[in-house]
Amino acid sequence: MAQVPEVYVLGGYQTDFARNWSKEKKHFVAMMREAVSGALEKTQIQPSEIDVAHTGNFAGELYSKQGHMGAFFLEIDPAFSGLPTSRHEAACASGSIALLAAGAEIEAKRYDLACVVGVEQMKTVGAGEGGDFLGTAAWYELEAQGVEFPFPKLFGKLGDEYDKRYGLKDEYLAGISTINYANAKLNPNAQTRTWYMNYDHAMSRDEFNGNIGGRINISDCSQVTDGAAAVLLASAEYAKKWAERVGVPLESIPRIKGWGHHTARIRFEDKIAESANHEYVLPHVRATITDAQKRAGIADSDGIDGIETHDCFTTSEYMAIDHFGLTAPGESWKAVEEGAIALGGKTPINPSGGLIGAGHPVGATGVRQVLDSHKQVAGEADKYQIDGAKNVQTLNIGGSGTTSVSFIIGT
Amino acid sequence: MLSASTASTAGSSAKSSDLLNSRSIQHVVVLGANGAMGAGSGALFTTAVPRVTFLARTKEKADGGLAAAIKMVRSSTVANRVETGSYGADFDRAVAEADLIFEAVTEQLDLKREFFERIDKVRRPDSIVATVTSGLSINLLAEGRSESFRKNFLGLHFFNPPNVIVGTELIAGKDTDPKLVDFIDEYCTKLLGRAMVRTADTPGFAGNRVGFKVLNECAILAEEHGPLLIDELIGPYTGRAMTPLATIDLVGWDIHRAIVENIYELAPDEAHETLKLPEYMADLMAKGVLGRKTGAGFFGKDDAGEPIVLDPKTRKYTQKSAIPRPELPFIEEISELHRVGRYRDGMQAFVAATGPYAAIAQKVIAGYISYSFHRVGEVTDDISGIDRIMGYGFNWAPPSILVDVIGLKPSIQMIEKAGLPVPPALTNAQEGTMFFRDPQVNVGKFFVAA
Repeated sequence: MAQVPEVYVLGGYQTDFARNWSKEKKHFVAMMREAVSGALEKTQIQPSEIDVAHTGNFAGELYSKQGHMGAFFLEIDPAFSGLPTSRHEAACASGSIALLAAGAEIEAKRYDLACVVGVEQMKTVGAGEGGDFLGTAAWYELEAQGVEFPFPKLFGKLGDEYDKRYGLKDEYLAGISTINYANAKLNPNAQTRTWYMNYDHAMSRDEFNGNIGGRINISDCSQVTDGAAAVLLASAEYAKKWAERVGVPLESIPRIKGWGHHTARIRFEDKIAESANHEYVLPHVRATITDAQKRAGIADSDGIDGIETHDCFTTSEYMAIDHFGLTAPGESWKAVEEGAIALGGKTPINPSGGLIGAGHPVGATGVRQVLDSHKQVAGEADKYQIDGAKNVQTLNIGGSGTTSVSFIIGT
Repeated sequence: MLSASTASTAGSSAKSSDLLNSRSIQHVVVLGANGAMGAGSGALFTTAVPRVTFLARTKEKADGGLAAAIKMVRSSTVANRVETGSYGADFDRAVAEADLIFEAVTEQLDLKREFFERIDKVRRPDSIVATVTSGLSINLLAEGRSESFRKNFLGLHFFNPPNVIVGTELIAGKDTDPKLVDFIDEYCTKLLGRAMVRTADTPGFAGNRVGFKVLNECAILAEEHGPLLIDELIGPYTGRAMTPLATIDLVGWDIHRAIVENIYELAPDEAHETLKLPEYMADLMAKGVLGRKTGAGFFGKDDAGEPIVLDPKTRKYTQKSAIPRPELPFIEEISELHRVGRYRDGMQAFVAATGPYAAIAQKVIAGYISYSFHRVGEVTDDISGIDRIMGYGFNWAPPSILVDVIGLKPSIQMIEKAGLPVPPALTNAQEGTMFFRDPQVNVGKFFVAA
């Protein structure tokens, strides 16, 4: 592939995902403001230095009856007056799409410094209504209308498809859940960091771990979360000046070394029909991962030190394990059993706790994944640090495996 | 920069694992496991300890504690690690086998001391004994016990409910082994996910000393201004999740009395009068009013389910809807600023607000800041200890956060205007000093819009 200009990730900030902003009686702009101000403070950058801003958000129109969320940047600081802004949407991959857009503009040399914020306020409504809103990430009329909690059911079917093709035992899904919750306890911003969880609980099937549909129980699900995450992306030119200013070598600053982006048909059964004769259940997800590795000049996942993946359900992480190539197709269970994906294992997945443990404010997740990858590579992940991480890869998925985006953040 | 921070992490983690390996906790006995604190703490221990024994007066009561623990953390798997028993049948054997004996019986000095005497007779010389007391003297509780008991005894004050509130006070007695204190600090931080604060063995320790001073001052003010107005004036917009008098109702008036009387009696300080229990509370308690657990305290509901509010002057309840509410435009203005995340602007509007009602709110908040900073050196080594327990334990904006968002000079002016002593830490600070230093805490979370 042609040589393209570098995009540096200078750092960022996420809000505490355990917060309930409706209980705090706050507008989502407060969340954007905290994330963006936190990112600026962390990186010692002045608001006036930002050239362009992008917001990732899934369903502000539904949760807060508010669209046009890029414009809310101007409510954060008077220095943002006139700033070019936009909002990006691709369901749960919205945050990554915003990052792709910001990165592309830096590669095209339009701008030198971009602020990307992902934001979602989800606790404005009850569980049932929220589940219905999330159904708009599927083909609503065909897959979600009138269905209680459509997404757990769709991702339950992903587990069923694995079961059909290769066999799948609940104990491995419980193992995935247990690891994510355990990692979340090490992450001071994780939503579930104080929650009670262990393997036996994830395997239990009583009132405290109720069934949500198909093979999905409460412990298999990601969370309903209020939260925002912001990162600052920069051109080589800006990064050089910034490195001098803060006194770090340019080579130590993490970059977006590769990215992948594919879309599959929106309906789950159409995806499955398409992959019937394919060794991977979701081939476009696989292509997204390998594209990012190719662009980064990394042969395969042996060159990846850790992964932040989209575990909206345990079945999606189960799928990610073989799609990343950590095992042969259909053998994801081996990585769970051998501890390869646990912190301290060969390729830790979701040291942050992921969507299950850290939380899943839909439009913020892609940005949060890149921020956590940045923390790993910069050696700033504290208690959930992967020792010596040089390259960390993300996988962010919108819908039932529909829009997939992956980034490799490394030095 | 990066390599230096990695190196220091590696160094401290090696030290930390040495410390964690210096003792082993495989079996915890919880005394008073039928109470909320016993059951909740017991559930918490099961996250790190393979065997936890719940003891109460009867096995049925201990079983009730286990059922409560299961409900509290919403997992039946708590039972996999818990056995239950009674003081009569199981005490001596269980305590003799335990690595940690966790005392959570009723908050009465004599009762607790009886338990410690009994523990002293049967415990292993190396086992740890911890009390969850919320303010009784650790030294007094250990008086008369064996040397090995006193060496291995400390206060471990979880806040209720311990599965949700991570702020925890750690109090050493004069004979407690410093190595044990370090171990428990590390153990609770690493294995139980606690935010630990070391405090001196002073009445109410750090959190209740500062927190109940503010709560009691609000109860005093309620006599003249009424509970409804006071809870609005010192409401969530001033940096707290729950309003002060509703908090006293939730905690229970009897608990409130026990805490403030203990401080009033044993720790006369510059804010002594604000710690005196109002007479109307004592009168009403004599008639059985204890807050939410008896149906009503400052607030309640009438037979028709309509909200009612206590009038402390008459000791009678009035329909909430019949109480006139004065115009409080400054609260509305501040709330609008908090709502969009402009907390600094909000709290600067707070100190700039004028009028008698704003003055009441400013005086209480000024008192909170002044009192907190004056306790440094007495209850904690530095302000960060008080900040941590107020933030992680009470869910109140820590005093340092208030000074930071209000600004140093306006904070000093607010304290002076209230006629309260300005802490030297503020007077001596340079303009621009930031007092709060915990990057893991979102400053904005404390400032709730009204």
